[in-house]
Amino acid sequence: MSTSPPVARQHVLTPTTGRVLRRSLFWIGVVAFLAIVTLIAAGTAGSSVGGTTLDSENAAPAGARAVAEVLRQQGVTVTATSSLAETKRAISDPSNTTLFLYDDGFYLDNEQRRELATLASTLVVANANFDELRDLAPELAQAGYVGGPLKADCDVTAVRKAGTVSGDATGYRIVDNSSSITACLGSGDGVYSLVHVDRGATQVVVLGATSALTNEHVIEQGNAALALNLLGAHRTLVWYIPTAADLPESTPQDLGSLTPPWVTPALTLLMLAAVAGAVWRGRRFGPLVIENLPVTVRASETMLGRARLYEKSSARLRALDALRIGSVQRLATACGLPRTATVDDVIVAVASVTGMQAAGIRDLLVDAVPSNDIELVAFSDGLLELERDVSVAVRP
Amino acid sequence: MAVSGWFVALVAVGVVPIAVTGQPVALAAWLAFVLVLGAVDLAVAGSPRQSELARELPGRVRLGETVESTLYLTNTGRRRLRGIVRDGWQPSAVALPNRAPVNVPAGERRAIRTTLTPFRRGERRAAHVTIRSFGPLHLLARQATIALPGAITVLPPFNSRKHLPSRLARLRELDGATSVMVRGQGTEFDSLRDYVRGDDVRSIDWRATARRKDLVVRTWRPERDRRVVIVIDSGRTSAARIDNEPRIDTAFESALLLAALASSAGDRVDLLVFDRRVRARVQGASGAELLSKMVSSMAPVDPELIEMDWSAVPGLVRSVTSQHALVVLATTIDAPGASRGLLSVLPQLSRKHTVLVSSVIDPAVTDATRTRTTREDVYRAAAAERALLDQARVAAAIRQLGGEVVTGAPQELPPALADRYIALKAAGRL
Repeated sequence: MSTSPPVARQHVLTPTTGRVLRRSLFWIGVVAFLAIVTLIAAGTAGSSVGGTTLDSENAAPAGARAVAEVLRQQGVTVTATSSLAETKRAISDPSNTTLFLYDDGFYLDNEQRRELATLASTLVVANANFDELRDLAPELAQAGYVGGPLKADCDVTAVRKAGTVSGDATGYRIVDNSSSITACLGSGDGVYSLVHVDRGATQVVVLGATSALTNEHVIEQGNAALALNLLGAHRTLVWYIPTAADLPESTPQDLGSLTPPWVTPALTLLMLAAVAGAVWRGRRFGPLVIENLPVTVRASETMLGRARLYEKSSARLRALDALRIGSVQRLATACGLPRTATVDDVIVAVASVTGMQAAGIRDLLVDAVPSNDIELVAFSDGLLELERDVSVAVRP
Repeated sequence: MAVSGWFVALVAVGVVPIAVTGQPVALAAWLAFVLVLGAVDLAVAGSPRQSELARELPGRVRLGETVESTLYLTNTGRRRLRGIVRDGWQPSAVALPNRAPVNVPAGERRAIRTTLTPFRRGERRAAHVTIRSFGPLHLLARQATIALPGAITVLPPFNSRKHLPSRLARLRELDGATSVMVRGQGTEFDSLRDYVRGDDVRSIDWRATARRKDLVVRTWRPERDRRVVIVIDSGRTSAARIDNEPRIDTAFESALLLAALASSAGDRVDLLVFDRRVRARVQGASGAELLSKMVSSMAPVDPELIEMDWSAVPGLVRSVTSQHALVVLATTIDAPGASRGLLSVLPQLSRKHTVLVSSVIDPAVTDATRTRTTREDVYRAAAAERALLDQARVAAAIRQLGGEVVTGAPQELPPALADRYIALKAAGRL
């Protein structure tokens, strides 16, 4: 029995909490640094790209903040709204208000649009689609895409002051000439990019040349004049871009409203319990103890390899000869012949012991060549049979 | 830190208050409750670092036997230590129970008993002790691993000692049978005794008969104080497994049986385990000390995956003895190519000594020659016959060079070697 003496200062392999913290200080620092950088980046990044097209708050190339800001400086009260209710609240003096509508997402339905038509004295519909034309200006029809600079060719103030308007535009065609219609920015063939419909109390302007309002193109040619005169005609401008808030609340009851309020916290708790369970089962009870394993070499591997080689190359004669040599040796021993006996001696001895023909034995032990595997198996069986016969015959 | 199953259950039980109150805020309240409870439990748990460990171990164990290892744990901290202790042994030491519950009050000491039943020869080590100390609520635990090296030497099993009594009896028969045995070289005059019918008349000592006036015969006993040198090959061929036993283990068994037999027959036995360097050497030991030294020196030896350097063997044998000796080479005779080194040094050895080559044969090969039902079987039988033929060729070459050959399956080789030793002794060839 040997007792390891208790060491005065035992070496504890598990690091203390403090040491773990100190060791991982670098990585804690890295994570903290990355978090701070991310926060700062998220806080300071401007919306230089993306954003809603023609949004009065959008400073991106596709936005229209420049027009809105200039109008504000000129004393026009610009109010950006995102729902119909908000728009209604924003319009206090309909007679002195321009309502700008840009519904790119098809949020509004027929009733809402008809309601819009009477809200302000001037309604500017940018890029009016088929539904908008049907509800707000049934006299017009869409006429596809129009490119290139457009020349002022009518008596509408804004257009006249602009002179030339650049940028891409949607064109409209007049299908019903019954109302008082002024068509401007024609590109030939009866297609116009700005159509003014006078309905007495309200004026409807269908604006196809919307790119003239964007931050990107507003300073080109007469775009600024067009935008400012068109939208700054009244003291108040309500810039209405419909959003999802305008969609009617249709779904009656979803899954969330049907579940009791305690289900989500209960699920969260069970998930935490599962995490705790993973820690419970996964915590290792001390490190593994290393052990060198011995090599395992099966001794019969070379024999099996040789057998596969014989088989793969169909070395039937070689295989049969190996079997024959073993058989001849065993037969010689059984017949009591010395180790030096020749095959002929063995054949003679076997023939005399069993009473079989020497030629047949010679054929089996020496001469026959197997031409296929069936013959090989047959010869092998013949050898076994011969050995058995001899052992029976010599048994006293 | 470690978590118990109770802690997990406690977290999960929080579903009840959440469902009863129906308030999402109950989740936060419950988590806070659980965390506070766990923190208190952890703070009150005894420190596993403040414990003193000592291990009591037997130095050696025979393979297949069971010994007990005792671990003493002294709690030097101020709080009670409850929890689980794991003694970190290598897997092949088979330490049971693997984990032991402990409950040690402050300042007291407890013994933790572990039984070891190693299944692999050599040195089995323990590296460390891990203590997991739970608080009184058994929710959270502190855990620490403390280095505490320990080792136990696992000796070769010497299973072949069951053959020893029968072989010793035959050795004694050799003593008694001497009067009928042909006198010759290698026998020594022992004593005189009365003539019994059947004794060889040539052994009658006429001078003594004349003195006693009765027929007296001389008795002889086998020669004593001969040298036996066992050289075990620990090269790459010894790593091969036959019947799930490496060749080197069979060689160890054979060597142990032969040494036990020869030392009780009065011969001097020396052992060398060699591949390219001497990996174990027992020289000049006798009696009970011999076997003990042999098993201890064999225990840590594992086969190396290198080629055996046979050219150094004659020099090694010369360094052991300059007299005539029985040199037993425990190696492999598989193929003429692989045995070329052995064959080249045999003449040098056999000129001066009696050389006996012992080799394990694979019973699977012999079985394969008889199984010939399918096509694959026939090819395998052919390969097996070829392997047997190769072995026979090597054995014939060894005999031609003046050596003797003993072969056998792993279970049969040790008694076969012992029998050959007795036969050589009876023939006076030592």
